[in-house]
Amino acid sequence: MAGFVCRAVNRIISSQSSCCSPVIAVRHSHWFTSMLSLKTSAPLRAEPRKKKKKVDPRQEILVKDRLKKRLKRMEKVSPELIPIEDFITSAKSFDDTRTRALPEVCFEESERRALLLKEWSRHKHKQHQMEMQEIQEALKAQKQALMQLKLESKELYIAALRPDTDTLPFLHHGPSYTPPIADYEAPEGKYNDITRVYTQ
Amino acid sequence: MAAPFARVCQPLWRKITTAILSKGVRNVSSTRQQWAKLNVKTAGAASPWALHGAVCLQRLPVVSQDRSPIEEDFMELMRQIEFEKSLLADHEVKVLEDTARMSRKQDEDYDSDEEDDYRNKKIVTAQDLEDVWEQNLKQFQPAPRLQGDGETDMSSLERCLADSLVLLVQKDVGSQKIWLLPQIEWQTGETLRQTAERALASLPGADLKATFLGNAPCGFYKYKYPKDVQKEGLVGAKVFFFKAVMSSQKHLPLEKNTFAWVKKDELQEFLKPEYLKQVRRFIMTL
Repeated sequence: MAGFVCRAVNRIISSQSSCCSPVIAVRHSHWFTSMLSLKTSAPLRAEPRKKKKKVDPRQEILVKDRLKKRLKRMEKVSPELIPIEDFITSAKSFDDTRTRALPEVCFEESERRALLLKEWSRHKHKQHQMEMQEIQEALKAQKQALMQLKLESKELYIAALRPDTDTLPFLHHGPSYTPPIADYEAPEGKYNDITRVYTQ
Repeated sequence: MAAPFARVCQPLWRKITTAILSKGVRNVSSTRQQWAKLNVKTAGAASPWALHGAVCLQRLPVVSQDRSPIEEDFMELMRQIEFEKSLLADHEVKVLEDTARMSRKQDEDYDSDEEDDYRNKKIVTAQDLEDVWEQNLKQFQPAPRLQGDGETDMSSLERCLADSLVLLVQKDVGSQKIWLLPQIEWQTGETLRQTAERALASLPGADLKATFLGNAPCGFYKYKYPKDVQKEGLVGAKVFFFKAVMSSQKHLPLEKNTFAWVKKDELQEFLKPEYLKQVRRFIMTL
């Protein structure tokens, strides 16, 4: 019965296939072997099964745990710190061949320098005192104005004391050496960015 | 005994409660007033001073100031000391190597095989690079620092680029024309800062973009009206100044004689002495 079915199906397949080779040699699938061989089914032709060892699952679990432990250990290691470029003195600074050959400073020159430094500290001190005085004067003027406003009307005084959120953040481009040129088009500059990027 | 006593107590009790109720009502109404319009003057004794808001608009310096002689000397000294303490830079090392190589080439017994790197004959020397850089620098023409130093046009904004300038306006007060900071009378329903902003906007032809620094006034000045102008209990006026900083460099198309941009030292030529004394306190030239 099975043989008859096999033969019938083979014929059908051979009729469907384009090549006209003999039916016996063609094997389109493993379900239909050649007619000349022994009649076997797929389960019969399979590789002999391995014996299942009951200890295997436990061993697999152990192996998995070991791998997990190793991963955790690797993760626990603290990441390498990113070096701060400013704190590393480059080797070029210790190069002795780069020292300048300059004559030593004579006595008069060193005296002049010392006196100039003292003069400078006096000048800066005076400047600082003047600046502080100006600021104090302005603050006093403001306090007086607020007191007078309080005498005038309470509501205006309260409105004046309210913090102003529009002024901050305050942005102003400070003075440059030369004034800005009207309608100046800056040329496009090409540059190679050589900053070192560190990833942890 | 109890009846007459009760009769006496009742009116007392009523008096007390009515007194409490009336006080409570008054309190509620005053707070409501406060909440409704914040800027209405409290109904009390009307002050004899009219309120004005004024703006002290400053154009901050565009260009850095020139150095004083001691600053020049100190800068030179610092440069010298830094130069003495420094090491040779890469560029300078290249310059020295190139000069050494050139001197070696000029020697009679010059053997080019002795050179370490004779890969290519065309070596760009450091000196060539310097020349190229100098040429590139010459192609750029910066704007001159001191623009119109001898200019006496007080109305232009390009006057003294190294100092901060204050805007002054000439106004008719009574019979005289006096210079003062732009001011305008305060109206009910606005804060004094809004008055100052209005004062700035009301200048004829003004297209100034200014940032006001804070809600609080920076100074005040009070003056009495002359006797013939004093009316209805108004003795004089109090002017509250607000500081503002110019944010855009736009030219004012205003008439020349009505306004001026003035440095702090030049203020005394324009303002009255009493007014000047108060105004000088808060105008800073830091």
